[in-house]
Amino acid sequence: MKNRLRVLRAERKWSQADLAERLEVSRQSVNAIETGKYDPSLPLAFKLARLFGSTIEAIFSDEN
Amino acid sequence: MECKTINPAARRYMHRFSVTMLLYALFIVLAVWVFVHFRPTGPLAYALAVLPAIPCIGMLAVFGLYLVEEKDEFQRFIGVQAMLWGIGGTLTVTTAWGFLENFVHVPHLQLILILPIFWLFFGISLSVLLARYK
Repeated sequence: MKNRLRVLRAERKWSQADLAERLEVSRQSVNAIETGKYDPSLPLAFKLARLFGSTIEAIFSDEN
Repeated sequence: MECKTINPAARRYMHRFSVTMLLYALFIVLAVWVFVHFRPTGPLAYALAVLPAIPCIGMLAVFGLYLVEEKDEFQRFIGVQAMLWGIGGTLTVTTAWGFLENFVHVPHLQLILILPIFWLFFGISLSVLLARYK
């Protein structure tokens, strides 16, 4: 699934490790989500959306 | 499960796994020693013979506990995938070996080797998966 995590993270000057710490997950997890290799569960997607003050639809897209 | 950023659940898992491995080794040594020196028979012999298998159940149980305690869903996903590859690899190899034993008479595979084969596949799979998602 495509997502805007890298952009959102860059806007805040956060590293993958910074985001991982805020989400209480590993850096690997952030990398896997960011590169589209792993789709997060709904609770984690909501957590991401809340963290960026956005909505799930604004961050993730199921379009190819 | 990454060593640099190991989380409490993974740390507990490694500690518990080490304990079960230690018990496994101790029970094997104990069983061999008792059989060599005392040649037990009857129920005691059966109990001693299966004693090393108890920590094997423990190894799987502590992995189950890890999956329950791990808060990072991606790490759980990796763990479950490695487990499935471990199971799949072990079933494939042992089934193929069984047919080889029947048809071309290769040496008999001791059943006690199945668990090490499983952990070997599990370990390789985990390494590959961790490298893939690095």
